[in-house]
Amino acid sequence: MCVGNQFGNFGNTDRGSASRLYREWHRANDGDTEQEDIVSSFAEFGVLVNNRHKPKDKPADTKVALGFLAPWLIGAVCLSLIPMLYSLVISFTKYNMIKPPQFVGLMNYRHMIADPRFINSLTVTLTYVIVSVPLQLVAALALAVLLDRGMRGLAFYRSAFYLPSMLGGSVAVAVLWKMVFGADGLFNAFLGIFGIDTTMSWIANPDTANWTLMALHVWQFGSPMVIFLAGLRQIPRELYEAASVDGAGTWRQFRSITLPMLSPIIFFNLVMSVINSFQTFTQAYVVSGGTGGPSDSTLFYTLYLYQQGFASLRMGYASALAWIMVLIVAALTGMNFALSKFWVHYDD
Amino acid sequence: MKRLWKKYLTAVMAAVALCVTTACGSSVGASDVPVVASDGDVTIRLDWWGGDSRVETTEQAVAAFEKLHPNIHVDMEYSDWTGYWDKLAVQSAGGNAPDVMQMDELYLSFYGSMGSLLDLNTASKYLELNGMSDSLKSMGQVEGKQVAAPATTAQYGVIVNNTILNNLGLTLPDTDHWTWDEFADFAKQVTEKSNGTIIGSLAPNNGYGLQLWARQHGEKLFDGNHIVIQPQTLASFLQLPADWASNGVEGSRERWSENSAATLNDSDFGKGQQAMMITQATMITPYAQAAGTDDMSIVPLPQIDPGAKTMYLKPGMYWSISSSSQHPAEAAMLVNYLINNKQAGTILGTERGIPSNDDIRHTLANSVSGTDRTALNFVDTIQPTLGTSPSITPNGASELDKTIIRYQQDVVFGKRKALDAAKAMIAELQESIDFAS
Repeated sequence: MCVGNQFGNFGNTDRGSASRLYREWHRANDGDTEQEDIVSSFAEFGVLVNNRHKPKDKPADTKVALGFLAPWLIGAVCLSLIPMLYSLVISFTKYNMIKPPQFVGLMNYRHMIADPRFINSLTVTLTYVIVSVPLQLVAALALAVLLDRGMRGLAFYRSAFYLPSMLGGSVAVAVLWKMVFGADGLFNAFLGIFGIDTTMSWIANPDTANWTLMALHVWQFGSPMVIFLAGLRQIPRELYEAASVDGAGTWRQFRSITLPMLSPIIFFNLVMSVINSFQTFTQAYVVSGGTGGPSDSTLFYTLYLYQQGFASLRMGYASALAWIMVLIVAALTGMNFALSKFWVHYDD
Repeated sequence: MKRLWKKYLTAVMAAVALCVTTACGSSVGASDVPVVASDGDVTIRLDWWGGDSRVETTEQAVAAFEKLHPNIHVDMEYSDWTGYWDKLAVQSAGGNAPDVMQMDELYLSFYGSMGSLLDLNTASKYLELNGMSDSLKSMGQVEGKQVAAPATTAQYGVIVNNTILNNLGLTLPDTDHWTWDEFADFAKQVTEKSNGTIIGSLAPNNGYGLQLWARQHGEKLFDGNHIVIQPQTLASFLQLPADWASNGVEGSRERWSENSAATLNDSDFGKGQQAMMITQATMITPYAQAAGTDDMSIVPLPQIDPGAKTMYLKPGMYWSISSSSQHPAEAAMLVNYLINNKQAGTILGTERGIPSNDDIRHTLANSVSGTDRTALNFVDTIQPTLGTSPSITPNGASELDKTIIRYQQDVVFGKRKALDAAKAMIAELQESIDFAS
């Protein structure tokens, strides 16, 4: 009975903490989450509109709220929504930014099928997502579990591990990365300690360049780690006590209590990570000097899109690429949600 | 509630339609402003790409220009190479291009054929273009219009770091008539003698290099809107860095790859770890400064058939005037000042390349010293091998340099055979040209 009550309470707090987590995550990933901001704000806007017509609500409140929202609304519609829709229109045209767009039907979309660099950029990006996202989440979870044991100086370690997440997306770190994995970089010096002498430049070889970027992504495990840490704190201690009374070992407890209880948060981290890593741009742009090289091995989807739009001045094609990316990310997210019912455990 | 949403949706769609139509409507047309100087105060905008030293000298020259023409004020803007073209495309789309802009051969056809640039012949009252050779002047023409004034020329040569050669006890062979084989043999010796700490050279990896390679094979790169270089010739150009990476001239594949992406200061030649560099003659001064030596010289490019007339004066940079400029006469006066005025020539020096105006080049050659002088005199050295100018890079091939490096990387790292890469590269470029025109 007692345990049951705990469960009930936990269920309630979990919902509260989920939105808190979301906010925390937002702060942590400031700058990367514009889309989610827009989506969630539109949802809130919808609620406002609905409420307006519920007789028990005071209409004056809604008007004031809409007034306060107006600056954001104007910005979202004029600077996000309209350009987005405009890019959809542009994607059916041939447009070099100087001559007026010229309608060409589905030509841009058909061109993709025959474009080897498009196919390559998809392969590069998908490889990056498939390898680096799980690795990052495993690293984040492992460290979160370690830190959760309440070691001394926890606050320090938490900050230290979190630091790369704040720096990892910056130009400065990408430049640093270039030096670390260069021919006479830190990484080769590290290998030298183990007697492996090499002048291999990991950045300059097409077989390894993408892996250095994956390493950069995994290194930014701090942000999901902090979320995991918060999630671990929400798991009631009683569950572990009860399990250990029943004779379950550490591994068994981790598998049967920690993982299922944490699965909604793992799911949240997974979805966000996939979306964000699919949009990776800065790192590849800086490390390859904007080319996606060597040999197109770091030609991420967004980088190719940028090159087509602003270097080759094929705005129509770039817009089509952008909309295909929206579809791909939506499909991946949808797939994640569909698969989630097999492994995500919601405690209702 | 449903109806309400419909209302909102209609409003949004109306706004979208409005934005779309206005954006589509703002195509760029030439302004019909007569090319006549104004008596009143006039402000024009000048835009260029380049580093700090260019900012300094250009600001000085512009200040001197404003002193000569007190009623003209020049607003200056500048950015780095990549940012410059992104910005110019967006500005041109918005009908907001600068009055005077620095232009490059790779992008000239694009802006020229879009009607974004003023035909300078309409401003001949204010702008003199006869201080340069006709063949150079013709490289500023697109579709029969003089849309750009060549400001400087660039000559490919081999810059040699003599300090390195002296330290290694090596002497250059006869460079007046040397072949690519002789060049590679000598470069290999550098790498061998220094146990790989210093490399001999790097294979040429840009459009200028490819153009000269084609000419040395008795071909051309472009003919109008067609790529006419033979796949075999292009294949040998793409194969060159692969051969030189394996025989030691470039050290290794990765070293070549790093160098081809490096900035001047991070490159082996800039760090004094490379003996010879195939590049533009005026690069000698920045390279000498970076490598910390003043003992650098320039020798002619190796040739397949030594002494053949395969070289040409390539415009290093141009000045163009926007066709939507409200003050074309004043803009023309500024361009005229920048390319023909002796005072401006002295201030600007060789930072943008060798001045296109022959008088100014000779004046400079007598007044400067050191590596700048070496670069200026190199034009006379290659005079006997100068042939006719090729047609300029067509619209749609602006990404030529990056495309070359990408296919060279494919060949160097064994992703493709050279001939396959050559055929794919020709197809890709031709598609891009056809799409743009």
